[in-house]
Amino acid sequence: MNHAQKAEIFNKNEAKVNWHDKALWYVREKRDNAAHGVKGWEQLRDLASGVKAHVLSNLDELLIEFETNAQKNGITVHWASNAEEHNKIINKILTEKNAKKVVKSKSMLTEECHLNPYLESKGFEVVDTDLGEYIVQIAKETPSHIVLPAIHKTKEEVDTLFQEHLGTKPSDGNPEYLTNEARKHLRTKFLTADVAITGVNFAIAETGGFVVCTNEGNADMGAHLAKTHIACMGIEKLIPKEAHLGIFLRLLARSATGQPITTYSSHFNKPTEGSEMHIVIVDNGRTEQLSREDFRSSLHCIRCGACMNTCPIYRRSGGHSYDATIPGPIGSILSPGKDLTKHSSLPFASTLCGSCSNVCPVKINIHEQLYKWRQIITKDVEQPVVKKTILKMTGKVFSKPKFYGLAGRSVRFMLKYAPRFLVYSKLNAWGKARELPQIKNGNFDQWYKEKRSK
Amino acid sequence: MGREEILNSVRKNKPELLPLPEINADLFNEDIDLLSGFKEKVPLVGGTIKQLTSPKDIDNEITMMYPNATNIVNRTQVSSLGTVSISDKTQPKDLEDVDLAILRGTFGVAENGAIWISEEQFYIRALPFITNDLLIILDKKDICQNLHEAYELISKRKRTFGLFISGPSKTADIEQCLVIGAQGALSLTVLLI
Amino acid sequence: MRVGLFIPCYINQLYPQVGIATLEVLEKLGVDVYYPSGQTCCGQPLGNSGYEEDAKGACQVFVENFKEYDYIVGPSGSCIYHVKKHFDIIEQTPDVINVRNNAFELCEFIVKILGITDLGASFPYKVGLHKSCHGLRGLHLGSCSERMDAHYSTEEDLLAHVQGLELMSLTRKDECCGFGGTFAVFEEAISVKMGKDRIQDHLNNDVEVITGADHSCLMHLEGLINRNKQPIRVMHIAEILNSSI
Repeated sequence: MNHAQKAEIFNKNEAKVNWHDKALWYVREKRDNAAHGVKGWEQLRDLASGVKAHVLSNLDELLIEFETNAQKNGITVHWASNAEEHNKIINKILTEKNAKKVVKSKSMLTEECHLNPYLESKGFEVVDTDLGEYIVQIAKETPSHIVLPAIHKTKEEVDTLFQEHLGTKPSDGNPEYLTNEARKHLRTKFLTADVAITGVNFAIAETGGFVVCTNEGNADMGAHLAKTHIACMGIEKLIPKEAHLGIFLRLLARSATGQPITTYSSHFNKPTEGSEMHIVIVDNGRTEQLSREDFRSSLHCIRCGACMNTCPIYRRSGGHSYDATIPGPIGSILSPGKDLTKHSSLPFASTLCGSCSNVCPVKINIHEQLYKWRQIITKDVEQPVVKKTILKMTGKVFSKPKFYGLAGRSVRFMLKYAPRFLVYSKLNAWGKARELPQIKNGNFDQWYKEKRSK
Repeated sequence: MGREEILNSVRKNKPELLPLPEINADLFNEDIDLLSGFKEKVPLVGGTIKQLTSPKDIDNEITMMYPNATNIVNRTQVSSLGTVSISDKTQPKDLEDVDLAILRGTFGVAENGAIWISEEQFYIRALPFITNDLLIILDKKDICQNLHEAYELISKRKRTFGLFISGPSKTADIEQCLVIGAQGALSLTVLLI
Repeated sequence: MRVGLFIPCYINQLYPQVGIATLEVLEKLGVDVYYPSGQTCCGQPLGNSGYEEDAKGACQVFVENFKEYDYIVGPSGSCIYHVKKHFDIIEQTPDVINVRNNAFELCEFIVKILGITDLGASFPYKVGLHKSCHGLRGLHLGSCSERMDAHYSTEEDLLAHVQGLELMSLTRKDECCGFGGTFAVFEEAISVKMGKDRIQDHLNNDVEVITGADHSCLMHLEGLINRNKQPIRVMHIAEILNSSI
């Protein structure tokens, strides 16, 4: 099913669409308020974008610098070209540590690599500890938003899930009660975990350290209680210097949720005595995206989710309609680079309104990249014959003023005189919920000829 | 495994070197009162803030705020309320039942209500997260304006583990309803002295 | 100053009154305005659908028609934006560069080039302004709600001087209406929902007439309003600026 079909299904429940739209618009408003409170917000975005562009142009050097410094601090660095290698590296570490139980904090990269099913197939217990991720994990779903993974679920649905999985009492979806029950359950998981896996928000070449941001404290609970901490990062997470965190941490939480900063911004530089710290640096298609000049800057992304919250289509179609690890506008420019055919409907799931590019803290020109992907998709992926034929014919008509005059008259004639049942048939998607324009007697050309021929 | 492959692929595909922009901190300077800015922000991020007139009141104040706390880890010189001591031998899991941790903060950040705390201050990395409640004592002179200044201040530190902490653990993952107390400490109190 | 009047294809065929109002407004302002007869379309529907290559002919026809004018003015932000932004697919001859540089959306032309905001119009209704995306975020006709810039709005500057007109403020000031060209057809469900939500915002704020500088958005909203028989109507901003009720 393509995006439009999934979106249509999501729209069968208009009340839920309204709820979803309002919930995310509220986050967008909080973001606006937070950004208004920062003097020089737009300059801060320019800086962030400039730093990221520099990083991509010097990525090999920075990766080596990062590796050297991390190793100096006793961190083990691994490299994975793709998802399979990433998963194998983690499996190897777990096996060497004789680990059974793994706690994870949110990492879109491990989602992208489908790490959970892989580890489960090897017999490990894997528990997602971010509350939203935990909810989708027990529901056997995928996150529908990168910051708010369970935004598609109502509190009543969470209530039912928790009754089944945690044995909670019915609470009419009381968020305090449900959160506290999850806290108690996850506590036992933290206390008994052998290995903690986290993502990485920023990796600093200059120091070999990395920063993980959470609101719940779950990354830290995992990383500090388990003997082994594995942090997984895409190659684009790198920044040159620690001082650049000043830029990115000012932007990240404000863009994501409207908070001035996440509750915890933890700076990991060295493992403690007796424990281990591993970093897995992953490519998985990123260097290929780096080669595409038009789409390179999509690698600036710091995963704040602001483009999802502002996107009028995302808000009304839900994250799952994108059928991709990263949904929404940013996902729609990243995913086609991974599998053009599978994700070929995503760049069309946009009106190119440009709101995403405006909220993006690292100034990715998302809507312009959507436009560019469209041009590629119509060439490289087979298109519906009708759509293709009509548009190609239209191109011919527009290139010949005479054809155009004739076509214009025919369209107006048809709209004016054809019977309603014919015009508003199943073939006419416009007319399903909308009236067509009412036809006046002549067009502007004719009027001009009559009234203004000089 | 992939190291050379990745680096070679980057070399092949990266664009020409682009300059690294300079941060002009003046652009972001604001003429604000740091202390009142900070005091405003802490409650907004879910924390509680109190300013004491005399350092002698510290223990009284804490006892009043946390009358039921019995297992207390104190990592400061200015309080004497600690009941649980920690050492090299302490395992993070041993801190499971800590009711209250009392720490010294290095400095606060006016723009976001965050406080920098580092491993030297809490010793066991899990402490500020696993404790039921967290109390940070901060000198009211130690407030900086924004994160640009903050990174200046910590640029010379011993880099092991440290964090900016802004309020108590929280989540809004169930229908966007803000709930204080997810996986980390249930509350954060800042005592300004 | 010779101005070439660009009447986008759908306005020419479906909304001639918008073209007429545009011409009359420019004439009232004393502009030396011409309407080149061989014009077709800027090619935007093709480009936005991924068939940019097939739009090259349309781009060439456009440049041929307008190359001799000092300014090219049209009542549709998205078409003008397309000319400025996406005519990079044909060879950049001096004519092409001139046409791209000198293409202006009507309101911007009046305010920025002519330096006029008061057109002496009157229109005694409660009006809601739909800030079409390509005009707003593409041509920068106004400040965008996402950005932390000082507030400004070209259309509001013009509407502020229309006698009797009450400009109503909206809850979501610049959310997309969901038209999006072929998006309206290929993503029908979302397009319709977005349009309905936009109209509701105007209704909730007591708007009687929705106006804007891009009639394609208004066509979409009008289609919904007419189907759902809602007590509100749409009018292009040129029609309001040309009105003396």
